[in-house]
This record gives sequence, structure tokens and C-alpha cells, in this order.
Amino acid sequence: MADPLLVQFGIAVTAIALIGALASRISLSVIPAYIIVGILVGPNEPTAIGGISLQLVQTGEFIDLLAELGIVFLLFFLGLEFSLQQLVSNRDRLVKIGFVDLGINFLLGLGLGVLFGFSWLESFFLAGIVYISSSAVITKSLIDQGWIANAESEPILGTLVFEDIFIAVYLALLSAVALGEGSPTDAALSIGVSVAFLVVLVAVAWYGSEYIERLFETESNELFLLRVTGVTVLIAGTALALGVSEAVAAFFVGTMFSQTDHVHRIEQVLSPVRDLFAAIFFFSIGLATDITLLADILLLLGVAVVVTTVGKFVSGTVSGRFYGLDRTRSFRVGFGMVPRGEFSLVLSTLAISVGTGALGDLIPAFTVGYVLIMSILGTLLIQHSDRVTDVLETALA
Amino acid sequence: MTVYESEIPGVGHKFELELDGEERLVVIIHHDGKRELYRRPSPNEDSVKLASLTGKKARQLGSILEGAYFQPVEMDDLNVPLGESIIEWVEVKDGSPLVDQTLQQAEIRQQTGVSIIAIQRGEETISNPSPDTGIDSGDILVAIGTREEQAELSDLLTADDEGN
Repeated sequence: MADPLLVQFGIAVTAIALIGALASRISLSVIPAYIIVGILVGPNEPTAIGGISLQLVQTGEFIDLLAELGIVFLLFFLGLEFSLQQLVSNRDRLVKIGFVDLGINFLLGLGLGVLFGFSWLESFFLAGIVYISSSAVITKSLIDQGWIANAESEPILGTLVFEDIFIAVYLALLSAVALGEGSPTDAALSIGVSVAFLVVLVAVAWYGSEYIERLFETESNELFLLRVTGVTVLIAGTALALGVSEAVAAFFVGTMFSQTDHVHRIEQVLSPVRDLFAAIFFFSIGLATDITLLADILLLLGVAVVVTTVGKFVSGTVSGRFYGLDRTRSFRVGFGMVPRGEFSLVLSTLAISVGTGALGDLIPAFTVGYVLIMSILGTLLIQHSDRVTDVLETALA
Repeated sequence: MTVYESEIPGVGHKFELELDGEERLVVIIHHDGKRELYRRPSPNEDSVKLASLTGKKARQLGSILEGAYFQPVEMDDLNVPLGESIIEWVEVKDGSPLVDQTLQQAEIRQQTGVSIIAIQRGEETISNPSPDTGIDSGDILVAIGTREEQAELSDLLTADDEGN
């Protein structure tokens, strides 16, 4: 029983809105909430409650397209808010904490993959998924907790900046390798194409900022919105057609704008667009999730949650120390880095598009379970950090 | 006094204003225009959120702080926009030669150069007094003029009958 698309879409957005309101009421991050509601009303289990069908929304090209736009805009904004100046001004410390974070957490992910018998490519996907913290969840929690005005926000946000750059490059590499699988010539060609494409984008961003500035000069917000959306989606789509990750292309389009004076206006005018599509992206992840698959990866999920929570806690605490923070605040940096979210899901979407072996089913199922747990657990750790710190200090004493 | 500015990726801008000692005022300006105001007593303490303001309210608060609604007189750099002139309030003491004269008879302007712009008599204020207003003892004359002229006026008010 499939209602007309318009009804399905209406149900979807209304369900997202309701669960979003509920989530903010109990100060839970909205990302896991959107995924959960997607699982509920989607075509997979649970399919009914008390005899009433819950299969209200079907997956399909339409929802997939909107979800894809969600990815594009998430990464576009990541590029847009990417500040080269900040990177250069704190270079030494940023690189230090970035590599501590990468070294500990990425290697843990790789180790988990190998330990559980995944192939190298699958393990590299897994490593990226457990390494990358969630900018969205963490930033919101920092604001809610008031940490944003404290010293601990600096290493946290600094690490996120480093991770964002890393993930953009990593996505480009992974998608080139994964989508270009076949003969070595194919792989080399696909990597060549993506590198060439991205080099062109970066060159335009670097040398053409004045031209871009003029091109998007307009009084009308409507025309501005259309121009920016048009260019972003067109470039991301072209990238996809050439076998380059659309997310990476969108990231670079974002950086193209970050060098201009349009940044603030884009944030004002396009944020609602991003919020809508991103919400549908998380929702669609839920739609596509078959929770019966979670049973097969329960052990991996349990081990990953424990190991990678400890990993982020340790790397964060060390980073806090690099910034000269006292123990309590360093611990806060550790707790602050725990939430995982949107970028892990972007990686798992890429895994689905490759679709070979565990990339097609187990890894996406794992990622959904993992992001649900880590975003909620991470938010709770941040909210109750002082109490957890007390417990830890008594345990350590 | 130093103001520290830094960019918060994905959020907006942060400004920190040094107050007395180690105390700092932290202002976060979000991309959506929301402003948050925090106070941090010292580097080792947590910031306490004082207020969250919309852009419009923040501008209003800014105007109030700037003194657009009420400008207090800061005595240490009193600067009245009257060129060389200042306004003084002088009391007419008992036994002042001017008591029981009208302003016209007292010839204050001719003798000193100040203009009497108002007279405060107990609870009432006679603003812009006419030349035939009388001067009583206990009146407070509000006079405008240069410092020299004001000095002449206080001499005139306290003058004994020597001069005449």
C-alpha cells in the first residue's frame, strides 16, 4: 500500500518535525531522532504496531534525491565555514591535536575491521566511520552547555576543523578507489579524473574568488538562493557523473565561496535549505535501515562503542593538555569528541553505493546502530561530564 | 583594554572583553543573528550565561550601553557644548547687594557679562526670567557665561558696599 508521493512526503516531513520537537524537549540531538523516526515509518521492521501498518513511507528515487541534496548541502556548508585563516594561525597546535586524534581513533577503527575479518577496503571504511566526530552534534552541545565560551571549546573545535579537511580528502580517495574498482588501469583512471576535477575546483576557488564575488552579486535573495543552489548542485552532479564523490565536490564548492564576502549571506539564505534536506537525509538513512541486520553485528557494535569511546576520550584529554588546560577541562575535551553523526553516515552512504561484500549491508547497518548510540551517548557524556569526571577521579585515585 | 576576537567554525564569532582583574565578558554572535552574553570570573572557572538576545534586542542593549537613551554626566571630563561658556548655579546670600532689586536694576549683564537664564526659588523655577523679576535672598541664579564672567558674578553677589 503506497500512498501518492505527495502524501508520503507530507508524512515524512511531519514525522520529522514531531520527533524533532520531542528531541529538543528532552535535549537530545536531533540526528538520532530523525533516523529513528525513519526506521519506524519505513518499509522495514517494525512494520506494524497493534495491527496498524507503519509502512507509511517507501524508499524511492524521490526521497533518495532529496537525501543526496542533504549530503551535498552538509558538505557544502562544511566547505563554506572552513576557515583557512584559523588553520594557519593555530597551525602548530592544530596539527598536533589533529594527528593525536587521527592516530588513535583511525587506527582503532582499522584494527577493529581487521580483527572482525573485514577486507582492507571495508576496514578503511570502518576506520573513517568510527574516526570522524560529528560537527553538528558537538557544536550544538557546546552551545547548550555553555562550553562555547570556555577554553575547552578551542581544542574541540580545532580538532573538528582538522577532521573536516581530512574527511574531504579521504572521501575523495575512498570513492575513487572504491568506485573505480576493477583493473588497475580503471582505478588509476578514476583517481586521475577525480584529482583533475578537484584541482580545477581548487584553482577556481584560489584564483577566481573576485570573479565569483561579482558573479553572485545581486540585490534579490531569491535570485541569490537560486544561483548558489544551481551552481552547487550542478557541480556536485557533474562530479558524480565523472565518478567523483558529489560530497567532496560540494565541499570544494563551499570552500570556493568561503574566500568571498558572500559567506554570511549564504549562511542566512541557504541554512533553511540545508536544514530541510539534511533532515530528510537522516530520515532516509532510517528508511533504508533493516534493524534485523543489527543482530549480525551486535558484537562488533558493542566492542566498537566501548573501544572508540575510550579512544576519543583519551585523544581528547591529550589534546586538552596540549592546549594547557587543567585535568577537568581536558576530560571535557575528551567527552566532547565522543558524538559521531553526519559524516559517518555520509561514508556509509558511499559504502552502499559501492555495494560489494559487507559494504552493501553490514557496514551501513553497523553505522546506523553506531551513530544512534554514539550521538546519544556522546550528548549525555557532555551533559553530565562533571559527574562522570567525579566517578573517574575516584576510580583513578 | 583588549578585545579578543575569534571565529567559531559553524557557529559565528566570539568576542572576549577584559574586565577588572581576570574577569572577562564573552559575547558569542551566531550566524543567525542570535547573541549570547557570558561572564567568566576567571580563566579556571566556567562561563556563566547572562543573557541570550535576538539581533534586535542586542542592538537596543548596545544603544543603551552607548548612551543613546540616557547620557550620564561624567564629572571627570565635563564637556558642555557651549564653546567657552559654562552654566553655574549661584545662591543669593542674605545681605547680598542684589537682594530686593529687579534683574534690570541689578544690571547683571552689563556688569559681569553673564546672562541669567533661570531663577530657582524654593520649589519653583522661573525660567527665562523677565527684566522686572525681583531677586530675593535664598534665590539660586542659573547663569551662563565664561569662567571669568562667572567669577565677576560671584564677586558682584558678595560685594560689600565698598565698590559703590
